[in-house]
Amino acid sequence: MTDFLNDWGLTAITFVPLAGALVMMLIPRDNEGAHKQISLGASLLALALGVVLLFDFDYGSAGSLQFVTDEKWIEVINSRYILGLDGMSLPLMALTVLVMPLVFIYSWNHIPEPGNGKAFLILMLILETGMIGTFVAQDLILFFVFFEVVLLPMFFMIAVWGGPNRRYASLKFFLFTLFGSALMLLGFLALFFLSKDPATGELLRTFDMRALTDVAGAGIVRSSQLLIFGGMFLGFGIKVPLFPFHTWLPDAHTEAPTQGSVILAAILLKLGTYGFIRIAIPMLPEAAEAWAPWIGLLAVIGIIYGALGCLAQTDMKRLIAFSSVAHMGFVMLGIATLTDFGINAAIFGMVAHGLITGMLFFVAGSVKERYHTLDIGRLGGMLIQAPRLGWILGFITMASLGLPGLAGFWGEFPAILAAYQPANGIPVETFRTYMVIAAVGTVLAAGYLLWLLQRTAMGEPSEEFADDPNITDVSRIEWIAWTPMLALILVFGVAPGLIFEITDPAVVESLNNCLQLPAGCEGVAEATQAAFGG
Amino acid sequence: MLALLAQQVPDFVRPDIDWHAAAPELTLLTFGALVTMMDIVWLEKGRKLTSIVASIGLLATMVPIITLAVDGADRSMFGGAFVVDDYALIMKAVFILTGYVVILLSTNYIAEGDYWENEYYGLLLSSILGMILMASARDLITIFVALELLSIPAYMLATWRKRDLKSNEAGMKYYLMGVFASAIMLYGMSLLYGGSGSTLLTDINESISGPGDPSAVVVLGIIFVIVGFAFKVSAVPFHTWAPDTYEGAPTPITAFLSVASKAAGFVALMNMLFVGFFGRDDVYEPVIWILAALSMTVGNLIALRQTNMVRLLAYSGVAQAGYMLAPLAVAGDVPDSALAATVGYLVIYAAMNLGAFAVVIAVARKTRTAEIDDYRGLFHWAPGLTVAMTVFLFALAGIPPLGGWWAKFRIMGAVIEANTAAGVVMGIFVAVNSVIALYYYARIGVKMWAEPAPDDDTAPVRVPVSLTSALVLTAAATIAFGVLPGLVGEVTKVSLLAGVGG
Amino acid sequence: MELTTTWYLVLSVLMFSIGAVGLLVRRNPLVMFMCVELMLNAVNISFVAFGADLNDVGGQISVFFVLVVAAVEVVVGLALVVAITRRRSDANADDISVLRG
Repeated sequence: MTDFLNDWGLTAITFVPLAGALVMMLIPRDNEGAHKQISLGASLLALALGVVLLFDFDYGSAGSLQFVTDEKWIEVINSRYILGLDGMSLPLMALTVLVMPLVFIYSWNHIPEPGNGKAFLILMLILETGMIGTFVAQDLILFFVFFEVVLLPMFFMIAVWGGPNRRYASLKFFLFTLFGSALMLLGFLALFFLSKDPATGELLRTFDMRALTDVAGAGIVRSSQLLIFGGMFLGFGIKVPLFPFHTWLPDAHTEAPTQGSVILAAILLKLGTYGFIRIAIPMLPEAAEAWAPWIGLLAVIGIIYGALGCLAQTDMKRLIAFSSVAHMGFVMLGIATLTDFGINAAIFGMVAHGLITGMLFFVAGSVKERYHTLDIGRLGGMLIQAPRLGWILGFITMASLGLPGLAGFWGEFPAILAAYQPANGIPVETFRTYMVIAAVGTVLAAGYLLWLLQRTAMGEPSEEFADDPNITDVSRIEWIAWTPMLALILVFGVAPGLIFEITDPAVVESLNNCLQLPAGCEGVAEATQAAFGG
Repeated sequence: MLALLAQQVPDFVRPDIDWHAAAPELTLLTFGALVTMMDIVWLEKGRKLTSIVASIGLLATMVPIITLAVDGADRSMFGGAFVVDDYALIMKAVFILTGYVVILLSTNYIAEGDYWENEYYGLLLSSILGMILMASARDLITIFVALELLSIPAYMLATWRKRDLKSNEAGMKYYLMGVFASAIMLYGMSLLYGGSGSTLLTDINESISGPGDPSAVVVLGIIFVIVGFAFKVSAVPFHTWAPDTYEGAPTPITAFLSVASKAAGFVALMNMLFVGFFGRDDVYEPVIWILAALSMTVGNLIALRQTNMVRLLAYSGVAQAGYMLAPLAVAGDVPDSALAATVGYLVIYAAMNLGAFAVVIAVARKTRTAEIDDYRGLFHWAPGLTVAMTVFLFALAGIPPLGGWWAKFRIMGAVIEANTAAGVVMGIFVAVNSVIALYYYARIGVKMWAEPAPDDDTAPVRVPVSLTSALVLTAAATIAFGVLPGLVGEVTKVSLLAGVGG
Repeated sequence: MELTTTWYLVLSVLMFSIGAVGLLVRRNPLVMFMCVELMLNAVNISFVAFGADLNDVGGQISVFFVLVVAAVEVVVGLALVVAITRRRSDANADDISVLRG
């Protein structure tokens, strides 16, 4: 059993949802109950496997890959089927397998218009396979395939089950992300063809992420490194989304069905940030160092812009979407410091944002279901009409604005702190300026979130909805779907070490390259080139 | 002149013929003749049988191709004018299988169209015969004969619906452009012959690839030949015939032209570039680069505003030709990768494009048109066709895990591997164009899935067995190529350089 | 003045250009066919001239193939014209414009 787990555990957890989807394809559309059961069952099986893996994971060596599978896949391009789990991917994989069953539970009586639960649930299962696969893939081509597999299901979820403006939003989402990933793929190919073994100077010709992380860009001239990083920056940055590529996000979130919004916020956005810390930075540290101030700049612009954007919104879902831009700005600021501290904070921020914003979209979906509108101006008095729903909204807005003791705090505060002392070779003054701006951003965040809470939850119910019998309190299905997330927001807030202790060894490992030199990476590429003799 | 002949050929000896190597061509020739004879002898009574005999003929032709592949040895006949190697065998298999799917698409279309159908299959087989001959042709005259053998029946097939003015016009345009192109190509061939003193590609290569600048005659010859084939593969700016011909021709023939005929053009072009012109990349690379960049950009931009599905697929085919040309623009730097990339693209493109046309034919059985607006709400009355079309369109767009991604990936891999500025810029062209193309493919996806059917007409459409099997075959191939790209990767790891010692 | 190979080639270029220009500017299909013939015969002259110059029989042999194929092409072309004139009284390439072009 342990052998199976070691060799094939990750394969199993990745493809269990897909297997469920294949089974569902054979069952006629009318039998919606069976579809719900199978989809939930498949995702629960993935969760169970995830729990087993969590217990079996050797926390003492979280810095190295575990449960590694390494099989031949596409021999002509020397791309292999490599899966592995380390402290960096573990929290995100766990987040995925946790959130997905909750989404399926929520779908039990919330299949959005125009129905056809079969197709809807199948798409979500394919999505789950793509997301888990992205977090555990250790080969660039495998990573790319999983990274792209999520596009089609999400596109169709928005295009078919979305709101009134769904066609525009879905195409925009699709085109933006594909544009980034096409250039990212060019970057991967260049890494493949240019990377050299630092000891011998021979071309590596491998897509193995472990090997490419080890050589950390050796043998690639600085200008090429900067270009390759640029391609990856576009691919991952659009997915995050980083200002100014964020414009697809509010549209996609607003139009997507509740489940789509939750998955998008909780997991999909993390594919981008994960790409930065897993691929772009460890493989090209010198380019990362050169790009870091610009990434940091876009991150803080995103923080302020997202916050100001929130203040201008009248639609609750759109407001949450803009708050996502701001929160992902904190994550990217942490990453841009290129320090152990900052990147740990970023991973925590990803998990926290996944739980909190995922919850916010769940609540928004339930509000929409009850009030048939998300117009903040028309809502109000939720604490009176549906007190539990109101309190839950209060709880997660507090978490979202970074109240100490809840998960959101540990994502934002250390990221800001990390900007005080970025990695060697990065201009300190610049990052200290960013730090101040980001701190202002937290104040703005408190402002717009409290404003949201005040206008929707407090006060008297508006006349329009005062006697509306549709406005009921939290239902049983909703309780089942939400409780785990609410509990984790609290648990991680009280005991942040649960995550930090897992991620830290892996982060240290990934930064173990020229970034540790006292003077940073500047000039390392030239030195290596000289050593290879041109 | 007879004296000259007598002086050069003192006593004529029949050249050695390797019957095994020629078996595919001979088999197909036999069946082509058989179909035509059946028509002459049995007239109407043969109607039911011809399509069956034709498909049996194609499957029978696969047998010697497979035995040759199992045998594995490279064979060469007529002093190197006819060569059977892995590359030739793969392309022959592609042509045969494409022809088979086209027959599946044609069966009901032609039978129900009230047209005399027997010559149809005879002509189709002779066109395919030209294609499989092309895969082995390594001599200017052989290439020319093969090209005409595949083109001339195609002119007639494009005009098949002879009582329809659109079809007349389609055939006429195709014919005029086709003969114009072959005249240009022939002129280039005569210049190459003059510049090198031989019609054999390996001899031409030896003579023109030496160091130093090529002579003006050779440069002109190379450019004329490339331009001639650019017509055939419908590369911009020589693409103008394609949309009209595609729209007017019977749809199964459109599928045939857009897949097999285009592939045959590429095969001839690759024979030329990798055997004949190898070493003269300073001449052909810039020409191909411009053709590739123009084709993908212009093709995609015009495709954006098409309202007719067949025209859209025509322009997308122009763009796809651009992708396939892209690696040939770095053929001198990374010959093996470039060849493998283009051959791989042709294989995958055949599956996905044939599939898309199969859906167009199936949908037109109900709507009688190919307007994109008639695809609105397709999901409500033909969910199976909708899923299939989604697979094909997003495969054409290059979205993993569907076949097209691997094709595009190899293209990008080849141009990046070249590690030249031209290669990298071409890579960016491919990347940006993939996004433009996605827009029009995805828009159709939205129309099919998320819009109501026009007039709420959701009566289902009856799809005949032959069409269904064509759909299943192509969809399975499209998905298999994407999920197990190693398949195509291994099969297309071919090289043409054995002949030139490169 | 001696007629060298160059003169034949110049003749071939002229014929080819006249044919190509004619094909592009004339609109009567029959005239267009003649232009195609002109281009193909230019090719033939060029093949023969090079063949004689190189003292190689390949050029002459090529001409046979080109002649045969040219005949076949014209047969098909005339068949197309017949098909069109059955539908319409005159055959003019400009009038064939149902398709958008």
